[in-house]
Amino acid sequence: MTARSNAATVWILVALAVALIYAPPVYLIAISLNPALQPGLPSLGDLSLKWYVALAGEGGLTRALRESLLVATITALAAVALALLAALAYLELRRGRTIWFLAMLLPLFVPGVIQGLALSVIFTRAGITPSALTVAAAHLLWAMPFAFIVILTSMTGLRPSWLMAAADLGANWWQRTRDITLPVLTPGLLSALIFAFLLSLNEFGRAFYLVGRQNTLPIELFGRMNSGADPTIYAISGAIFFVSLLCVGAIFLSARKRT
Amino acid sequence: MAIAIGIDGVSKRYGDVQALGQVSLDIRAGEFFTLLGSSGCGKSTLLKLIGGFEAPDTGRLTFDGTDMARVPASRRPVNTVFQDLALFPHMSVGENVGYGLKLRGTAATERRRRVADALELVALGGFEDRDVSLMSGGQRQRVALARALIMEPGILLLDEPLTGLDERLRQQLRDEFGRLHKRTGATFVLVTHNQDEALTLSDRMAIMHQGRIVQTDTAEGFFSAPANGFVAQFLGLEPLLVPERVEDGRAIVAGQPIPVGEARPGAARPVVALRPDRLRLDASGTLELKVETVRFRGLSCDLRLSFSDGQTLTLSAPPEARHDHAVGQIVRIALAPDAALLIPPDDTATAGAQPAP
Repeated sequence: MTARSNAATVWILVALAVALIYAPPVYLIAISLNPALQPGLPSLGDLSLKWYVALAGEGGLTRALRESLLVATITALAAVALALLAALAYLELRRGRTIWFLAMLLPLFVPGVIQGLALSVIFTRAGITPSALTVAAAHLLWAMPFAFIVILTSMTGLRPSWLMAAADLGANWWQRTRDITLPVLTPGLLSALIFAFLLSLNEFGRAFYLVGRQNTLPIELFGRMNSGADPTIYAISGAIFFVSLLCVGAIFLSARKRT
Repeated sequence: MAIAIGIDGVSKRYGDVQALGQVSLDIRAGEFFTLLGSSGCGKSTLLKLIGGFEAPDTGRLTFDGTDMARVPASRRPVNTVFQDLALFPHMSVGENVGYGLKLRGTAATERRRRVADALELVALGGFEDRDVSLMSGGQRQRVALARALIMEPGILLLDEPLTGLDERLRQQLRDEFGRLHKRTGATFVLVTHNQDEALTLSDRMAIMHQGRIVQTDTAEGFFSAPANGFVAQFLGLEPLLVPERVEDGRAIVAGQPIPVGEARPGAARPVVALRPDRLRLDASGTLELKVETVRFRGLSCDLRLSFSDGQTLTLSAPPEARHDHAVGQIVRIALAPDAALLIPPDDTATAGAQPAP
């Protein structure tokens, strides 16, 4: 086989894989453009934004979306703040490093349904009303270990000698952290923020036990799917898909501009 | 103002490794002092202790007599040029150099002026806005120097600062260190494994080995009286010959007497160190040796010569000598006065370099 036909084979395989991954969501978008009530591929002459327009009147879905965005924002901010503190502690630790690392990752290994159930029982016992905050509390346990790992990874770019040099020039711990550590970690903090946000936005198992009166989006979608045909859930899926494509595109462009 | 450093019985351990064992040393205010040794000898650890980046397990460190145990690195009157330079990648040249002054609260206009002066001092005038990652090795080196010197430290620590630069730059920067030392008057402590650097720059130096100081002396002192075989070998006072016996100021090597002047007491089995610069080929010379190999070296040629008992020495001769001397030939060499020194053997565990009798 020549190198050229090798390369062609690889690209065909890649194209197949990409098609396989993206076919279902594309199918979802396609049926969201079908004005008919039953899900199915629309004929090309029949495309319509009917269900997208109908979204505006769907208070339940938009409220669920707003709830999910609120929970994800709280989760992302809290997870990154805590993970940053944990990573700074990791930086200072010498002997206890491994233990500390494992302790921070531990919540990751508790299955979501068990974690959700356990928190639900405890919150009920403590008389805490289920709300966006109870969901965010569970999501924090889920997202923080990931944020911790992302920040630690970017910390490998921090040379110990930079901190020594800053101390040498008179910087105390706080000044070293502010002037050296944080600027070096900034890209990592941003990645951690996005990662934690998405983890929370997608989460179902824990949220299922802990939501109050207002469902999060995944729970709302699941509920509607089971309660008969309602093409607006395809429309909101399509809308979210487009928005995330736009976000990825924007990040890609800004990253290209920087390098 | 220059500060004197007192190191008294300092030890430091990392796990199973004894990095420093009971080191005592006095570095005078304003002197250029060098810690010389191969990698892993403890010289960098000692520098870190002076800078305050590590704490000693035992012993005392004093600056002008004041104990430094409780003073953190950020409050010591010491600045360092780190081995990897440790320039802050997210700051421009000017921000790097001005960082220390900014922490001190120096006003922005005053800071700009002093940064400009400091860059001028290291021949980088006008480089304030450059990106440090786009500079050459020599320029980065100068930025690191300027960043330390702008603080007007009482002590400047230089941790292998010339490693990784090409030979021409090394010489240029080496001269610069000497000039800056005179100009600032601070106490300079240089850590290096390069004896040329040490010899050209230092007022005094200490040779370290396996966490201990083997000898502290002036450059001349090391050559006139090396403490033992290890020091002699480290400085290139080779070969070390094992004599059969020593009598009346002469060491007998393979039956041939070598004048060694006064024997220093204390060593049970002394060795003879020969200064290669004081040996020459001479038909009327006193030593009779056999040519083992002849190696052309461009501006000179090396003759490896052997005694009848198998011990060898290497003699540097003019390049033409390679035509006059064949392997197996017997030659005579003359020794200038003080060519041979009788010294204690290399008593360290890693010896092994002594010629087998």
